[in-house]
Amino acid sequence: MARPQNNYLGVTSARKAVSATLVYLVLAAIALVFAAPLLWVVLASIDPGAQLSVAWPAHPSFDNFAAVLTVDTTLRPMANGLLMCGLSAILTMVVSVLAAYPLSRYQLRFNRPFLYIILFSTGLPVTAVMVPVYSLFVQLNLLDSLVGTAIFLSATQLPFSIWLTKGFMDGVPISLEEAAWVDGAGGLQALRSVVIPLMLPGMAVVAIFTFIMSWGNFFVPFILLLDPNKQPAAVSIFNFFSQQGQVQYGQLAAYSLLYSIPVVVLYIVVSRTLGGAFTLSGAVKG
Amino acid sequence: MAATQTVEVTPRHRTGHARPGSRGVLRWLGPMGPALLMLLLFVAGPILWCFYSAFTNTALTGTGAGNVQFVGLANFQRMLADPQLVPSIILTIVFVVGSAIVGQNLLGLLIATLMQNRGRVIRAIVGTVVLGAWVLPEIVAAFIWYAFLNPEGTLNMVFKGMGLPAQNWLYTTPMLAVILANIWRGTAFSMLVYSAALSEVPPEVQESAEVDGASVFQRFWYITLPLVRRQIMTNLMLITLQTLSVFTLIFAMTAGGPGTKSQTLPLLMYQQAFKFSDLAYGMAIAFVLLAVGGIFSAIYMRVLKPEI
Amino acid sequence: MARRLATAAIAAGLVAVAATAAGCGSSGSGDPNTIKIAYQKFGNYIQGDALFKKVKAQWEKANPGKKVTLVPIQGNDADYKTKLSLMQKSPSTAPDVLYEDTFTIASDVQAGYLAPLDTYVSKWADWSQFVASSKGSVTGQDGKVYGIPMGTDTRGLWYNKQIFAKAGLPTDWQPKTWNDLLTAARTIKAKVPGVIPLNVYVGKAGGEQSSMQGHEMLLYGTENKLYDDKTKKWIAPSKGFSDALGFVKTVYGEGLGPTPQQALSPSIGTQVGGTLLPKGKLAIDLDGSWMPQTWISTGASPWPQWSQVMGTAAMPTQNGQAPGKVSMSGGWTLAVGNKSTKKDLAFSFISTALNKENSLYYDINATQIPVRTDVANDPTYGKGDPTAKFFASLVPITNYRPALPPYPQISNEIQVAQESVVSGQATPETATSTYANSVKGIVGANSVTAS
Repeated sequence: MARPQNNYLGVTSARKAVSATLVYLVLAAIALVFAAPLLWVVLASIDPGAQLSVAWPAHPSFDNFAAVLTVDTTLRPMANGLLMCGLSAILTMVVSVLAAYPLSRYQLRFNRPFLYIILFSTGLPVTAVMVPVYSLFVQLNLLDSLVGTAIFLSATQLPFSIWLTKGFMDGVPISLEEAAWVDGAGGLQALRSVVIPLMLPGMAVVAIFTFIMSWGNFFVPFILLLDPNKQPAAVSIFNFFSQQGQVQYGQLAAYSLLYSIPVVVLYIVVSRTLGGAFTLSGAVKG
Repeated sequence: MAATQTVEVTPRHRTGHARPGSRGVLRWLGPMGPALLMLLLFVAGPILWCFYSAFTNTALTGTGAGNVQFVGLANFQRMLADPQLVPSIILTIVFVVGSAIVGQNLLGLLIATLMQNRGRVIRAIVGTVVLGAWVLPEIVAAFIWYAFLNPEGTLNMVFKGMGLPAQNWLYTTPMLAVILANIWRGTAFSMLVYSAALSEVPPEVQESAEVDGASVFQRFWYITLPLVRRQIMTNLMLITLQTLSVFTLIFAMTAGGPGTKSQTLPLLMYQQAFKFSDLAYGMAIAFVLLAVGGIFSAIYMRVLKPEI
Repeated sequence: MARRLATAAIAAGLVAVAATAAGCGSSGSGDPNTIKIAYQKFGNYIQGDALFKKVKAQWEKANPGKKVTLVPIQGNDADYKTKLSLMQKSPSTAPDVLYEDTFTIASDVQAGYLAPLDTYVSKWADWSQFVASSKGSVTGQDGKVYGIPMGTDTRGLWYNKQIFAKAGLPTDWQPKTWNDLLTAARTIKAKVPGVIPLNVYVGKAGGEQSSMQGHEMLLYGTENKLYDDKTKKWIAPSKGFSDALGFVKTVYGEGLGPTPQQALSPSIGTQVGGTLLPKGKLAIDLDGSWMPQTWISTGASPWPQWSQVMGTAAMPTQNGQAPGKVSMSGGWTLAVGNKSTKKDLAFSFISTALNKENSLYYDINATQIPVRTDVANDPTYGKGDPTAKFFASLVPITNYRPALPPYPQISNEIQVAQESVVSGQATPETATSTYANSVKGIVGANSVTAS
């Protein structure tokens, strides 16, 4: 493409340099503003005498972490949470891919209304439905089961996950699949060998999303699990929060950080493996 | 990421190979089976039960627990006379408009636009910080903001440093406090959506406009925005529905107070259904919340007229 | 091929659901030799958990072949109540023994959750040791006993003797009327600057502490109450109600209390016990008998000098009318679930858990006022806590909240009324009439009477 070759170019580059500097300044400011609230929790976690005011710890130490890193407070709830949310994430991913296939590939008139209706149900807080869900779990004999709770968490994440997965699948051209059919592959086989490899990053996004959502959910496991030894970290952190205002801010900060580690690690690992930042490309066409 | 991005350039094949008909429906239903089963059993079923119980006197304790009776529209009549209802609806709308539609949406669009075609380092730094706020569990985000906005908190420290008086943000401006916290927590999602959308706007379109002497804002307004219109509508719809049901963040930061100054519909529902054990009334409020969500969705579809 | 895909998918879904349904469910509910105990274990409240672990060992030893399953529930009061109600609704999850607040007994009886214990207590020799007022608090509207009290609490005035000395006030202080109390507060405001003279809990953020310590401690010292047991009607509006709000208005209007911002923040309760009192920033506090729980060496804010610094006084009635002092009480009980198929075992467990030795252990640990006379008279009770005897002495004149289903909502309306007065939005009179209208809305106009 030909560009005008005169001093107009010079003006443009000067203006570009100024605007680039401006953009970097604004971005830096945004990053700073987003990082500011995190400052306190990091400093407080290594300060045994932490208060609500932000201050460099007088005697930085890992005492707060040592105090909360016990089997009952942190380790067992974390393991339960990893198991439950991991299961939930995998189940959601698999079920969403299956459900997205006909939505993306078969043009039926009720596809879009169907998507809107299920998506619409996410506007209701999950607390609202827990009473009937409890009775349902009693009937199905699923109460006090980590797997049962994981299935329910998956179900609540499905509307959003199916929506995202369908978007990702729409991004995989049907021509590739047609080629597979010509080679004699069946629907399931084409989905597995052609479509899924191309949308793995998208599926990872769905899994992470489900994991993050279930990891932070307190009310669902609280209601559906009876045995305190099965409760995930979300329940034990709420237990910790009742002590708000009771001086142990350092431990609370340390626990908050520990509780956040799995989701942060998961995010970093997945985004690294997939090469670069995680993208919602294609998933949100509507 | 190469896979999804490169294939996006080619137009989507939407011809489809299944004709509507019994065979098509069957093929649709098959893979949909597990999802449908789970949605019907664990989402639709319980919601229908809730809908029914809004017309009864179902309660967690008292007579309504032992002896459930159909009471017709009594809960809805009571709701219309409830002085807390209208303020809660308004606060819910303020929360959604402030934190999602204006806050997360515009800030996400701004960050995505500014990060477009910038160096990897700055993208990585900004992206990580913003996404970091998003992946943190809701209760941790709430606690971080509780500490941040406290009278002795970091924000007041900054204010004092600039010679401004310290404020008790959670007390004097509770809605602003929870709105800011929710913008902080949710912007990453909009940023991701718009980054993806903008990366698909062909650079040639921008460049030719530049040659025509269009300013940055003109280019953005007349060229970029119309091209990402569909993604805007989708994003608005998703974040609106997510924000409508936000409970933990507000509950942990202000518990709906002081007084009822930050009592949005999910908090009002929780108070009636669980604190006062009046489940049926709580369910009636939950359906007001759904109705608010419905109105928002209808507006988006109207205003942004997606080509369905 | 699409059909194969469909079949595979449906099969996968069904297998997943079936596998989980068969694989894991709640266990133990059907076992005739195992009883289930549901109780709250949340935040700082771990004393119940300690008691039940101890009793489980004792009881299993005394009853060979029988087992106890402990079900601690980690949730705040509202969430605990929700989960307990849900568990009680289903026979397979209904607990045999449950930890129950006295003031939810009436509504849980209505719901059919609790079993009457009359046949058991009539054969239980220890029952005669329980004081009458505590028996009243566990008796349903049908006159039957539905729970065994674990302990109770009373409320009164805590005051800082060092600040009183500085202000020239007597260090063995006992106000006779509301005015005496206000006069002392005004003296402190004038003589000891930088100190909050008097704390009275108000507003929604404080929840039940605002209603009970803040409002009802005043209201029950007037000629009125919340509820008339004889006519079975809620009393609203009443002069006592508006006088109680007037007192609060005076405290906050004259700057005798904390700033409204402080008073209306959710952390005021923990601030009072954790910092304001120990740091000598608050002179008089209308509060509960359990305060030392925070200050003992194992508490959240250890304060070894508390027993020398802090004095206690009974809350006076409005004009000194009989009995001259006022107190409110709450307390928790152990109850037997109505759906339990092992009620005999359940009661046997309770009778062990609340025998003299275990009640003493629990009351000391959880800073409870004993409801058993043998525990109250035991020399080990109150050792090291000079205020324990004082608060126990308030038991004969104490009052209980109306244990009726609408109480939680009415309590909320009380807090709303307080808040509107403290923030200056309403006068005590208009707040009282707003309250009366709200109460009518909650219980119906027929169940309300003016005074």
